[in-house]
Amino acid sequence: MCRRPLPGASTDYSIDIRITTKEWTLPDVHPTAESAASAPTTPVPRVKLSAIAKHFGAVRAISHADLVVRPGSVHALVGENGAGKSTLIKILSGAESPDAGTVEIDGRSVHHSSTTDAIAAGIATVYQEPQLFAELTVAENIFIGREQRKGLRVDWKRQQVEVAKLLELIGLPARYASMVVDDLSIAAKQQVAIAKALAQDASVLILDEPSAILTDAEIDVLFDVVRRLRSNGVSIIYISHRLDELFRIADDVTVMRDGRTVGTHRMADMTVRSIAEEMVGGVPVGSKRHVDHSNEDPLFELIRLRRSGAFEDVNVSVAPGEVVVLYGLVGSGAAEIAASVWGMKRVTSGEIRLHGKRISPRSPRHAQNLGIALLPADRKGQGMFSFQSIAFNITAGRIPLLTRFGVWFDRRREGIVARDLVKRLAVKTPSERQAIGAMSGGNAQKVVLARQLVERPKLLILEEPTQGVDVGAKEEIHSIIDDLAAGGVSALVVTSDLPEALRIADRIVVVRAGTTTVTFGPGATQVDVLAAAAGDVSGRAA
Amino acid sequence: MTTDIQNSPEHAPSPRTQPGGRVLPRAISGQELVLIGVLIVLWVLLGVFTPAFLQPQSIQPLLANVAPIAMIGVGMTIIIITAGIDISVAGMVMVCAVVVAKLLAEAQMPLPVSILAGIVVGGLLGLVNGLLIAIGRVHPIIITFGTANIFLFLGLRIFDSKVVNGIPSSIAVLGRGEGGRLLGVPISFIITMIIVAIAWWYLRYTAGGRHFYALGSDSNAAALAGIRVRRRTILAYLVTGLLVGLASCIVIANGTQSLAPTVGRGIELQVIAAVVIGGTSILGGRGSVLGTVLGAILVQTVSSGVIQLGWPSQLANLFVGVAIIIAVGADLVQQRLRRKA
Amino acid sequence: MSQATHTPRQAEVKAEASRDRMTGILRAILTQRVLLVFILLVVVVGLMFIFDAVGLMRGNYNAAYMAGALTNVVPLAMLALAELIVIVTGRGAIDLSVGSMVSLVGMTFGFTYGLWGFPLIASVILAVVVGAVLGAVNGVLVAYLGFPALIATLATYYAYGSLAIVINNQQPINSPEIQGMYATAQPVPIPGLSGILPSIPLGIFLFLIPTVVIAWYLLNRSPYGRRLYATGTNDVAAQWAGIDVPWVRMRAFVLSGMISGLVAVVTVGQFASARPDAGTAGSGMALPAITIAVLGGVAITGGIGRVSGVVLATLLIVWLNAGILLLFPGNAGTQYQLLALGLVLVFAALLNGYTNRRFRVLS
Repeated sequence: MCRRPLPGASTDYSIDIRITTKEWTLPDVHPTAESAASAPTTPVPRVKLSAIAKHFGAVRAISHADLVVRPGSVHALVGENGAGKSTLIKILSGAESPDAGTVEIDGRSVHHSSTTDAIAAGIATVYQEPQLFAELTVAENIFIGREQRKGLRVDWKRQQVEVAKLLELIGLPARYASMVVDDLSIAAKQQVAIAKALAQDASVLILDEPSAILTDAEIDVLFDVVRRLRSNGVSIIYISHRLDELFRIADDVTVMRDGRTVGTHRMADMTVRSIAEEMVGGVPVGSKRHVDHSNEDPLFELIRLRRSGAFEDVNVSVAPGEVVVLYGLVGSGAAEIAASVWGMKRVTSGEIRLHGKRISPRSPRHAQNLGIALLPADRKGQGMFSFQSIAFNITAGRIPLLTRFGVWFDRRREGIVARDLVKRLAVKTPSERQAIGAMSGGNAQKVVLARQLVERPKLLILEEPTQGVDVGAKEEIHSIIDDLAAGGVSALVVTSDLPEALRIADRIVVVRAGTTTVTFGPGATQVDVLAAAAGDVSGRAA
Repeated sequence: MTTDIQNSPEHAPSPRTQPGGRVLPRAISGQELVLIGVLIVLWVLLGVFTPAFLQPQSIQPLLANVAPIAMIGVGMTIIIITAGIDISVAGMVMVCAVVVAKLLAEAQMPLPVSILAGIVVGGLLGLVNGLLIAIGRVHPIIITFGTANIFLFLGLRIFDSKVVNGIPSSIAVLGRGEGGRLLGVPISFIITMIIVAIAWWYLRYTAGGRHFYALGSDSNAAALAGIRVRRRTILAYLVTGLLVGLASCIVIANGTQSLAPTVGRGIELQVIAAVVIGGTSILGGRGSVLGTVLGAILVQTVSSGVIQLGWPSQLANLFVGVAIIIAVGADLVQQRLRRKA
Repeated sequence: MSQATHTPRQAEVKAEASRDRMTGILRAILTQRVLLVFILLVVVVGLMFIFDAVGLMRGNYNAAYMAGALTNVVPLAMLALAELIVIVTGRGAIDLSVGSMVSLVGMTFGFTYGLWGFPLIASVILAVVVGAVLGAVNGVLVAYLGFPALIATLATYYAYGSLAIVINNQQPINSPEIQGMYATAQPVPIPGLSGILPSIPLGIFLFLIPTVVIAWYLLNRSPYGRRLYATGTNDVAAQWAGIDVPWVRMRAFVLSGMISGLVAVVTVGQFASARPDAGTAGSGMALPAITIAVLGGVAITGGIGRVSGVVLATLLIVWLNAGILLLFPGNAGTQYQLLALGLVLVFAALLNGYTNRRFRVLS
């Protein structure tokens, strides 16, 4: 375990809190889940979004979304990547304003134009990795910018009383008030961010995939907090890809697909499978001709690979010319596996084999020399050299290859190589000397992909190859992967985009909770894979 | 109306919180304790090897020399907490010192008026830095490199290539000789400690003080939390300017009746050395003025000790360099252990 | 009817086109720092000639005077190139210790060549090697141990400067061999062009031009240069692309040390003496070098900066300074040089900030 067990993450603290709900609930609300749940269409919903639409340029992010959240309920919002969840959340949290539709809070129409306005209206958002001031204490973070003052001085006593109440409510020991945030685990930081939202009198709390990077014990703590808030009348909008966990925590679920809300249900009426079916809809996914490589000797194998705290018992094999997808949700460990093969992180035990021979990549350079190439997931952070040219970006990973006699970087050959790849991958640009920073996401992604193809790799690892890329470029990148595989390159694709996985894979290996689970060959359906990745344990409820 | 929010029966009652308990990090950091320890060891060793060291006649000038460094260090600490830096303090010291010296020696102005003028001039120069950095949104190291040259120019022009002579001994009340001491402690050092105490209190207990830390930790998030980032930034450089103004008077008092155009030279790096030895992170968001005072005392102890031991005085800088590496290195190791744990 | 609406729209289109052209020109001047510095250089030299013509100057601002001023270009441009190489690696990299390295290496050169009778070439090579070792200390601290560059080089600034003074008991080394080094700072006529061009200081040919050529090669035509810019632009991406980022940073500091070592030899020649405070006297050599690097378009955030910009910026400052000396008598001249340097730097920094916000690029 690399995550150190923190007091806030364990469940061994004890709670017996009787707190006046007056400060945390609206007076006209019955603060128990049961009573609220018995009347799904109570006169005044806490949140009511009607006919929301939102375009970004020519891209339609949301065409029609309705969302009704009851007071004191946990409302799950699910959907595939790109279904419009995050845009809807941005609209509700004030980060974006809708092109059409209305937002009502407690029956009053609101038009917030900034996150500050939204917070004033009682809507707070807690992100996966909350933005807190690392060097300040928990108490200070909760009150920063809105300190209780006594003359010049901050009224620490009064703040302390309030912080103590908040911490009890969210299940952190009171001594946390004076701890520096930097010393807390991610789970505890999320709890602090929740406390901060409550301090701002939030009546609607949006939790954006909070569980993705938490351990199971930490998730238990988070759910305790969520339940307590619910019983205090706070409405929680809970976004998660882990469908199974929704049954432990959510009262209602709204499913989004292709920019629309397609249904709202009571969780009690649903199963993992039925939610998955509604998420993917009946639309068949265009798929390439799957090739069966099961009789061939594998080119690349991972055998019982383990890195403590990240993944274990990972078994994957890729045949020459085969495309294998590691399908896993954020936090499943799939990205960690790729980083280990790329020599960025050491493995603890197990074997990596190439051509049947055991390899242990020490660094990205070493992995490159073994014939491996990797397209990183975070294009801006890990891929692009923003204000450098396309040619620079393409050749940056293969500098020795373009160096003559070890001392002279051959600019002419650089230009030839870059122009060739620009043409092969159909990068839209007037010249390979253009800066990459100004290009569209799809074009920039093709440039970063081109870097991996300067020298033909034996194994190409692609992490989230089409994240943040427009539909056209996405299809082009998929065709490039097809062509490479047809040419004999083995590809290991790490993705959390299910249609993509089905579109490009010969085989799909589902990664869940840091280990490889089920493998799907040709003929797998979206529902099968999604259910497996979400842990198909229908009926497992809280 | 109370609601029982206990949701699992096995949870035992928790200890009640103590309202009014600590809500701030510890008052003294580990690094400061280590510094105090190092200082005690150094003083004992120097006391043993050079009997003259622990005598008042060598401790008094040491404290008088600490005063201006620590006083400017207070401002520099605030600036570095906001993730900034000010290279121009040497130029500021020159301008303020020559203005005060000329007012005293040539215009025969009374001492309080001259000191006040020095503080005002320092404040103006600091304000220039603050405005350029906050409004021009340029990296502070670059801007203050530039203003450093401009301030040096101003100082040298006011000096007009001549040493200022005949500074009245009234300024000695700030810390020179018997008249400049209270209970044997140089008055300049006492003033400095008062300012340090105020700054320590302000940075630790007021909302404004805490906002400096928030700003240095993440200025975007600070702006989102409603902190007026520009105003805070300007304030940090303005306060430093004001303190430089007062510190310049102490520099004059620590000297003789005349002031040469070399005044202030190299003081910016001495101040920064004191601040980083004191544990303030150059990356912003973390630090304390208490550490800075200890850092300044350490630097002066080393300088004074080297002379007392009869070694070449220039050797002191070697130890200062090593002290910086050790102090910052210890902090880096600590940070790394914290991350790993 | 159609004509009535047509004409104003045409005018509008025209106005827009000319506005676009203006933005284009502004963009070129602001984003091509070499162009801006070159324009400033022409303006400054032009102004100086005009001032000379109308008799504002105490001496003649002519080609010979400008050539003589080039002596000052040599150490300044070399150290500015050292700062360029370091600052380009990004993450707030900077080298405050160059002045102290010049002092310390100057003294070791004084020992080897001046006192111990080593051959000149061997002594020069040794000076560069000592510089490399001093730079390597900075490099290890910053690249491998994670010290902020500002702190690490502040510490070594103190340490090296102190060693330089203590090493020979605060005394300069002025042996006959060392005094003979003065020849390297003397102007020499250019063979074949002696009648057309004025004599140029020998140091330009001996030290500056080789350094500029090597720096240009390293930054623009060597595999290392590619890794350097990649690291400075985005060190995380560089790591993912298989570049050994700490080693790249380490070598930048070593190069800075080597150049400082060579500058030490230059200054020994200029002073005809190995002085223990050669690089640290006054406000030191580091601050002007950094100033010139920034003026030449080096972004403190890394990844941006060119050799040509730095060389032009050095010429700009040196010829501006030379003119100021003729405009203001006595000490006032050197004082106004400080003002000019400060104003130009603040101006350049504000311009960098504005350019980055307006056009999001700078090259």
